[in-house]
Amino acid sequence: MTTTAARPAQRLRRTPSVTRRLLTQELRLIARDPFTLVFTLAFPIVAMLVVGGAFGSKPAHGFPLNPSHWYIASYFTVMIGATGLVLLPVHIASYRERGVLRRFVAAGFPRWSFALAELTLGLLAIAIAGAALLIVATPVYGVPAVQDPIRVAAAMIAGSLAFVGLGVLLGTLLPSARAAQAIGLLLYFPSLLLGVGGPPTFVMPPGLRALAENLPLALVNQAIRDPWLGLGDGTVPLLIVTAIAVIATVLAVRRSRL
Amino acid sequence: MNPSQPTTTTTGDAVISVRGLSKSYGATVVVDDLDLDVFAGEVVGLIGANGAGKTTAVECLQGLRRPDAGRIRVLGLDPARDAQRLRPQIGSQLQDSGLPDRMRVREAVDLFAGPDAADPETLMEQFGIAHRARTPFAGLSGGERQRLFLVLALLNRPRLVILDELTQGLDPAARRGVRAAVDQLRRSGVTVLLVTHELAEAEALCDRVIAMRAGRVLDQGTPAELIARHTGQAIIRFSLPGTDDATTATALQQLNRLPEVHAVTRADQTIAVRGDRAVIAHVGAWLAARPAQVPSDLDVDLPDLEAALLTLLNQTDDPVGATS
Repeated sequence: MTTTAARPAQRLRRTPSVTRRLLTQELRLIARDPFTLVFTLAFPIVAMLVVGGAFGSKPAHGFPLNPSHWYIASYFTVMIGATGLVLLPVHIASYRERGVLRRFVAAGFPRWSFALAELTLGLLAIAIAGAALLIVATPVYGVPAVQDPIRVAAAMIAGSLAFVGLGVLLGTLLPSARAAQAIGLLLYFPSLLLGVGGPPTFVMPPGLRALAENLPLALVNQAIRDPWLGLGDGTVPLLIVTAIAVIATVLAVRRSRL
Repeated sequence: MNPSQPTTTTTGDAVISVRGLSKSYGATVVVDDLDLDVFAGEVVGLIGANGAGKTTAVECLQGLRRPDAGRIRVLGLDPARDAQRLRPQIGSQLQDSGLPDRMRVREAVDLFAGPDAADPETLMEQFGIAHRARTPFAGLSGGERQRLFLVLALLNRPRLVILDELTQGLDPAARRGVRAAVDQLRRSGVTVLLVTHELAEAEALCDRVIAMRAGRVLDQGTPAELIARHTGQAIIRFSLPGTDDATTATALQQLNRLPEVHAVTRADQTIAVRGDRAVIAHVGAWLAARPAQVPSDLDVDLPDLEAALLTLLNQTDDPVGATS
């Protein structure tokens, strides 16, 4: 039989792990998909320009400081939320819908390899979009000095992991890309408008304020913003976000068995 | 059955052993107390109408679905418990599965190739998709997609190959290529489980076929055995031009006396002889022995697996019909 033909010695030595093969392939596919690329890279920048344009760069409207600096964390959180609540769930659910996941499973890919590849893909997307965001933000609004870099970095990593984990989990739970898009947008936009890119919570009525401040994406926002601007250490939101990250990642990996 | 192959070995090691497999979706029983054995080196076909439970059964074998009840062993492993150890040993050509639109053929092959994979170039050449190596999945025709899936199924030198609707969407030339590949698998000792609606394909490729309805096995055996058990007779038709009534009457009497003949009828000039398959040889010998030429309109209507399955499925008194 031809399938038993001589195996190339190089393949025996050099076959990369399944996770690495999946990740490499996913990066190639994303690079070929202009809509995904534009959404990932341009959406946070557009959000920044819209919010910056609306509130200006001078302290006003009750902001305690320059509004474009107040929203600096929001630009990153917009990106984290978009990746975790929209991009990944739609991408993974479309794989599920089209039988791609079944093919991976039937091929015996280790149960965690797909989740790990998608988690890495999400984190890379956030890192690249974050760099693009800073490149545009610096000359337009200026970037405020980071007061506590370690806590800001910790919050960004934990927040990214939390939402990327949620994205992988949602993608494996929802039956179709259309369902993933509907649910993802339903979760994303209220979080965006109330807890991240909308007016400061101190201008909201008490009930809405309590809700807005405790949305997961708002907690990520607070955990990044407070230590960045020196408004607080952000320990409590950071701990909650870290807990969400651990739970979401574990569930995403477990769920990715099928 | 391929007559050049040795008699089906059903006494060897069971590569697949299923006892009492049941699977329901809600109130619908899809697989109902199924028993199934596939032995090493066999090419076995699962045949039956839509909804017979064939695909669900093979998905349970691959650990893609959890059965409600029953005991399954595939290559000595339990697909539900040992899926991660089992799946790399199975090459699957799945129904209802795909690849990302923008993934190119060669990229798919590289993605699925494990450390012990066969030479991808050779396989791609063999299945006629080497020239499409840089084509995205979305740009492939239905037949090319099937051929790519076959390459992926055979890539990692599986011990068991499960092919679900193997030649669906393939043109005749591609079907021939795929059938040749299954023959190659047989010769190399790989066990093949074929799920198919193409009964000519099952008849040509399979050492043994298992007919299913409503999640249960109706009958199994070599294609020839099923045909013999469940179809009518072979019919040989011809005319005897230039013979008068007396000669024709004599001919009919002689034909009636031949072994294995069940009935001889005449309609206008056409004589029809019915009987078991062996009747073909006897009538052929009788025609050749006559001083006249062999009739130019000689025609043999041979019962096939499709006729056998239709007969099986139409047996309305079968109790398994109650679950369908």
